[in-house]
Amino acid sequence: MGWLPRHGRVLLRFWSTALASQTEYLFNFSVELLAMAGNLAGSWFVLSLFFRHGQQLGGWRWEEALVVLGAYTLLDGVATTLLRPNLNAIVTLVQNGSLDFVLLKPIDSQFWLSTRLIAPVGLPQIALGAGLMLWAAARAGAAPSPLALASTTVLLLAASVSLYSLWFLVAATSIWFTKIWNATEVLRNVLVAGRYPISAYPSGVRSLLTLVLPVAFLTTVPAEALLARAGSHPLPLALLVAAGLFTASRLFWRHALRFYTSASS
Amino acid sequence: MGTNGDAPMAAGAGSIQVQGLGKTYRVADKLPGLGGTMRHLLRRRLRDVVAVRDVSFSIEAGEMVGFLGPNGAGKTTTLKMLSGLIHPSTGTVRVAGHVPQRRQRSFLQAITLVMGQKQQLIWDLPPLDSLRVNAAVYGLDEADSRRRIGELAEMLELGEALTRPVRKLSLGQRMKAELLAALLHRPEVLFLDEPTLGLDVNAQARVRQFLADYNRRTGATVLLTSHYMGDITALCPRVLLIHGGQLVHDGGLADLTSRLAPCRAVRLDLREPVPADAITPFGTVEQMDGREVRLLIPRERLTEAVAGLLAHFDVLDLEVSDPPIEELIGGLFRQGGRP
Amino acid sequence: MSRRRLRGPRHGLRLARALLGSQYATMLEYRAEIALWALSGVLPLIMLAVWSQAGVTAADGLDAGQLDRYFVAAFLVRQFTVVWVTYSFEEDQLHGRLSPWLLQPLQPLWRYVAAHVAEQATRLPFVLLFVGVIALVHPAALWLPSPERLLLGVLATWLAFAVNFLLQSVITMGCFWTERASALDRLLFIPYLFLSGISAPLETFPEGVRRLALATPFPYLLHFPARVLAGESVDLLGGFGALLGWAALLLPLVLGLWRLGVRRYGAMGA
Repeated sequence: MGWLPRHGRVLLRFWSTALASQTEYLFNFSVELLAMAGNLAGSWFVLSLFFRHGQQLGGWRWEEALVVLGAYTLLDGVATTLLRPNLNAIVTLVQNGSLDFVLLKPIDSQFWLSTRLIAPVGLPQIALGAGLMLWAAARAGAAPSPLALASTTVLLLAASVSLYSLWFLVAATSIWFTKIWNATEVLRNVLVAGRYPISAYPSGVRSLLTLVLPVAFLTTVPAEALLARAGSHPLPLALLVAAGLFTASRLFWRHALRFYTSASS
Repeated sequence: MGTNGDAPMAAGAGSIQVQGLGKTYRVADKLPGLGGTMRHLLRRRLRDVVAVRDVSFSIEAGEMVGFLGPNGAGKTTTLKMLSGLIHPSTGTVRVAGHVPQRRQRSFLQAITLVMGQKQQLIWDLPPLDSLRVNAAVYGLDEADSRRRIGELAEMLELGEALTRPVRKLSLGQRMKAELLAALLHRPEVLFLDEPTLGLDVNAQARVRQFLADYNRRTGATVLLTSHYMGDITALCPRVLLIHGGQLVHDGGLADLTSRLAPCRAVRLDLREPVPADAITPFGTVEQMDGREVRLLIPRERLTEAVAGLLAHFDVLDLEVSDPPIEELIGGLFRQGGRP
Repeated sequence: MSRRRLRGPRHGLRLARALLGSQYATMLEYRAEIALWALSGVLPLIMLAVWSQAGVTAADGLDAGQLDRYFVAAFLVRQFTVVWVTYSFEEDQLHGRLSPWLLQPLQPLWRYVAAHVAEQATRLPFVLLFVGVIALVHPAALWLPSPERLLLGVLATWLAFAVNFLLQSVITMGCFWTERASALDRLLFIPYLFLSGISAPLETFPEGVRRLALATPFPYLLHFPARVLAGESVDLLGGFGALLGWAALLLPLVLGLWRLGVRRYGAMGA
């Protein structure tokens, strides 16, 4: 069997069992919908505070800033759907020693750990984020060309890969620090910065959010593409960042595993 | 039962060679309590702990070997090195023709590890769902995996337990389902770490029976650790005994018994009580309780001593036995001695 | 049975020392986690960055210096009012640790209080470290509060922690009825995020929303202690009154729910 069909089949199995093992659908779904609505309303409200006495935030008008918020909402949905459940599972696997079983399987362990679970309750949020981006872009007077739409999609995919890689880098540290639930919280809370356009930050913070943690590439850059604004960073750079982070996550995981396999008991 | 899926393997396919295997850990000591924690924070004291030292043995394909030793002797560490989860510090290992720690796909397809105290089945779902995931991961096709599950489920007498959520299964059923999940891909080498841990006597016996059948039918190599001597005596003609990280015995179970127990136990029922020093010439008196006497007699003097006892005393009943192996090994480990 | 049972303040003191000591040792084991957790409280600093750059608060009567002090104070208050009782209670219940505690002559909620206090003590050095970093990169944001404001600020933070603990305990009691109380806790965090003043000072809110916010406990959990600590003009009596009032309202509620919950727990034979 080739790589793709085999991994496709594995994914299918992973996700069907993940769906089957979820209980209390209605409860989860209502909580998630409420959280989504509350979060969006709250972010909208806080964003609007910046426009009470002014016309722009870091050179972005109200509708344009909403496109950034849309991109943030979409990526947060990706995190809810795929990243968060799997990260939590890694920590549990390391803690109770079941990681051994994963390592003994003839399949890439990073693939297994990153895709094992899926939480479909995050899917509406992805749709909502995309909807907000398109709606706000139209309100801002942008009429995105097919090319702009395509590059926005590519950039959002690259952003998802970057986000995933950051998240996996953090998760991999659970090999050393068995309890790292809070690492998710750090990531989540720093990424909150992505709710606002990168130019809304003072220059020091801006370079931190571009060079150290590529928050700029997660939300601002896709929003710029959709609005056809003079981009702060070109598309190839965003792809490069995503590829670099992904490679880093793989190398780091391999290093962590070497440590695990030479030290665990 | 259809057995064409379980054709015996090519000779040598599942063999294990271990040469000079060793593992040293570096650990940080921590004293209990708050003070200990603080001191630990400020100044870590690192210490090398030798878990396994210069272990060599080789196992032919199809053998069933028991792996004995007290807690902390290095059994689990050795099993993890053999299955590629831990890198050895010294020595070389070949399992089914592979170097385990390279963890090549073909190696992982050829082995399995069952850990009695850990589980891989998804807790909230029936075992069948976990089995389907495993089938996909090991690249078994649908029809093949269904046939295989059917076969193993029949051997394990699992029946409808496969369609009930794992959390609702009894411990015995859960362990059998774990075995099924571990054997789905037809491994040639089975590493079993305490597969009967916590099971009741009946469930233990069934798991044992299954392992014996499985080994006979497939010719798979089995290396088994257990706290229950019954598992070892029932399954393993050959045992490895590890103590303090070192291999102290490699051979038949009977040899081990005679090495550990050069004496036999003799129990006497006398018509009338006799003074202890009347019996001491015949052997070491273990216990004397009125008319009941228990003594140990070296094997080579057994016949002579028994004849003497019968001639000198009014014996109602006499029984000769081997001391139970648990006691022998337990005694050995308590003394910290070597056979 | 004539074994002497200790009672009264001496017993209480010994118990508190033993509880706090063991909890502190436990928390030290998780110091890496707690350091990360402290780091995850950066939201007020992120918001400070946006607010100071936007420069739109002058109309609401907040100059750049006040904005700095408010958000740094909010950061500090947040660090010492974090509550996680729902998560740990849920886990304890799941692992059956609750049953033996119910047999002991100590209301189990005290264990969680002790754990939180111990966690705050573990967090303290990390928070100081962050303050040091702030002093390095943006020294203008730091100020020396007057002794009475420091004292009142610490007191307000403590009370805010107590109210937050009680608020979350109400939801925690839901653990006796559902397995998903922590999901409800996530929902509780959302109004906190937007109404407590952690994202924006209440002064920037439109009048109607501000009045609405002040009718909830959330602004008293963060905005009020932060203003006290930052040395801003603040209605001390009203703020402390509101905190005590919320505590007086929530405490009987928690205890009542606890009693009902334990009865249910017993009936379920768990």
